[in-house]
Amino acid sequence: MPPNADPESSQPVVKVVDLHKSFGALEVLKGISFEVHRRDVVSIIGASGSGKSTLLRCVNHLEVPTSGEVRISGRPLGFRLDGGRRRPDSLAGINRIRMDIGMVFQQFNLWPHMTVLQNVMEAPVYVRRLPAAEARDIAMGNLAKVDLLDKRDECPARLSGGQQQRVAIARALAMQPKVMLFDEPTSSLDPELTAEVLAAMRDLARDGMTMMVVTHEMGFAREVSTNVIFLHDGRIEEEGDADHVLTKPRSERCRQFLSRVLR
Amino acid sequence: MDVFRRVVLNNLDALLGGLWVTVQVSAIAFVLALLLGFAAALVRLYVRPARYLAETYIQFCRNTPIFVQLMWVAYVWPDVVGWPRSFFAAGFTALALQSSGYLAETFRSGIQGMDRGQRESAYSLGMPPLLTMRRIILPQVLLLMSPAIMNQFLVVVKSSTLVSVIAVPDLMYHALRLTRVWLEPIEILSVTAFLYIAMVFVLSTLIKWHTDRMRARFG
Amino acid sequence: MPPPTTAGFDFESLRQVFDFSYFWSYREVLLSGLLVNFLVFGFAALLAAGSGFVVCLLRVSRSRAARGIGTFYVELFRNTPEYVFLTWVHFVLPLVLTRLLVTRVNFAPTLSAVLALGLCYSGYFAETFRTGILSIPRGHIDAGRAVAMGRALIMRRIILPQAIRRVLPEALNNSVSLFKATSIVSLIAVPDLMYNVVNVVQYEMRPLPLYSSAAFLFFAILFMLSALVQALTERWRTRAWG
Repeated sequence: MPPNADPESSQPVVKVVDLHKSFGALEVLKGISFEVHRRDVVSIIGASGSGKSTLLRCVNHLEVPTSGEVRISGRPLGFRLDGGRRRPDSLAGINRIRMDIGMVFQQFNLWPHMTVLQNVMEAPVYVRRLPAAEARDIAMGNLAKVDLLDKRDECPARLSGGQQQRVAIARALAMQPKVMLFDEPTSSLDPELTAEVLAAMRDLARDGMTMMVVTHEMGFAREVSTNVIFLHDGRIEEEGDADHVLTKPRSERCRQFLSRVLR
Repeated sequence: MDVFRRVVLNNLDALLGGLWVTVQVSAIAFVLALLLGFAAALVRLYVRPARYLAETYIQFCRNTPIFVQLMWVAYVWPDVVGWPRSFFAAGFTALALQSSGYLAETFRSGIQGMDRGQRESAYSLGMPPLLTMRRIILPQVLLLMSPAIMNQFLVVVKSSTLVSVIAVPDLMYHALRLTRVWLEPIEILSVTAFLYIAMVFVLSTLIKWHTDRMRARFG
Repeated sequence: MPPPTTAGFDFESLRQVFDFSYFWSYREVLLSGLLVNFLVFGFAALLAAGSGFVVCLLRVSRSRAARGIGTFYVELFRNTPEYVFLTWVHFVLPLVLTRLLVTRVNFAPTLSAVLALGLCYSGYFAETFRTGILSIPRGHIDAGRAVAMGRALIMRRIILPQAIRRVLPEALNNSVSLFKATSIVSLIAVPDLMYNVVNVVQYEMRPLPLYSSAAFLFFAILFMLSALVQALTERWRTRAWG
């Protein structure tokens, strides 16, 4: 490879090819293909059971695809190419790529036995092996970005849901990922707390982060997303420009879904 | 192999006879424990002046090792209350005491944990308390607590090995006697261990089936 | 059984039951026996908790073979009566090892006691630890996986710190039961409290006060230990931290 070429700038950040996922006899993802480019904010919408969360969890290999490919910046995730043959990758190999992917969960999943600051510092110290002082600076910077620096020595249980989710965002950001995955980040929150989390996500998008968001918040999808993917029954029914999909969808099912949700 | 035949197979009748005694002692002790435990639980819950007496009884039964209780019942009780009159009786009495403590706690937490709504719906239909207890509360408590109760029987069987110490001719007694006589501990004690483990394993598997079935039906 | 000396209730005998003077006059030898109980308990508890933890890791491992071994171990030791295993370890194991290692192997009674009780109770500890580990919400583990933590790191930094706090009450209960079980070690001639009590009874011919005192002493100790564990459990529960 020529020394000056940056192999990653031309590649899509996330490339999914013909992804299938079955749980036992139940096939949840039935052949998903799409690309996410730098600075894209992709909203994934659809009815419950359509496979949205499963798709997202396949992107960082929390679920192992039954078949198909996921590539992050061109690098294969979950498998190695060994002279043309496909072999399952080791956990170490998978984790090397996971370091570049951040994920925010519906249930926040902050670790209750650590303070907020320790939660955010944990991965930089123990996974990226950064010295504690450097990790602390990064952590405090990210906590400041989500406006929670003053809570850094609190335990997660003492924070509201919205605050916990923002800490979760800071925790994911501390690893300096190339793409951030959000799995229904506001679905567990009371309506009053949803706004602060969406605002944080909006700031992230404005700063140029590549994001994939599974969400029911159509307002957010319309205002912040660049693209929207509509999933139905494990397949992509409709995808494209956010404005286009949300106001003038071609698919009838998508139209029905939106009319139900946007009422 | 020759040793095995000489020591174990020739004395199989003694060992199996001991096994039968183990079964008897365990069964009698368990039934007695159920009665004592249930009575203690009821007194603890509903007979206010005797509450602390019942609680002391329960705590004493639970917090004294079975071996200590055996010696106490076998060598102290006869001179104080004139009973038990045989070591066999001392054996099942001590075993019953030990388990009655745990069973009393099981019954108590089961009865107290019973949904208040159950009681109130019965009362509002005009059911008197005694009938409510008999037809509504108790059947449910027994069903819900049945895994714990059955596990207690397992504990009784395992503890019954100690009655050999007060010369009750159970399986362990015969095994140790034969060991002293024939001076070949390997075969006898291994066979004895195997018999006990098999017995307990079969019982615990049955209990597990029952528990799984119950969980499937009642959640 | 020698026939009872009375036909009914006998107050004179009852008075003897509460006569602690006999126990008191032999207190040095008897309490040194109690010390042996605690000693056996201490080492057995270490063995039980340690091997219980290892077996627990086997049970939650990804390898089916490891899980099978762990399950077999737990089932074996939970289904074995303690007295049976105690005699087997003391009388049979040395002979088996002698044949295997072609050197004379002999177990001191105290060693057999620690080994037998430790292994027996390791099954209970393994179950307790396993319940604790499995009670950690899946989401916490997923969050660790999402930031690229490896299995060992997740276990060390996320699962164990939380699991330890959850299993402590049950593990302490297991320990109290283990202490209760040390009362049988006298049966293989370990000089514990009961061993000394039986000796003194044979010497003094006064079973009533001595066996009763032993029973009361054990009751007092175990009651206090259980009450302590209960109080600690309550305190930890109200200080809920997630």
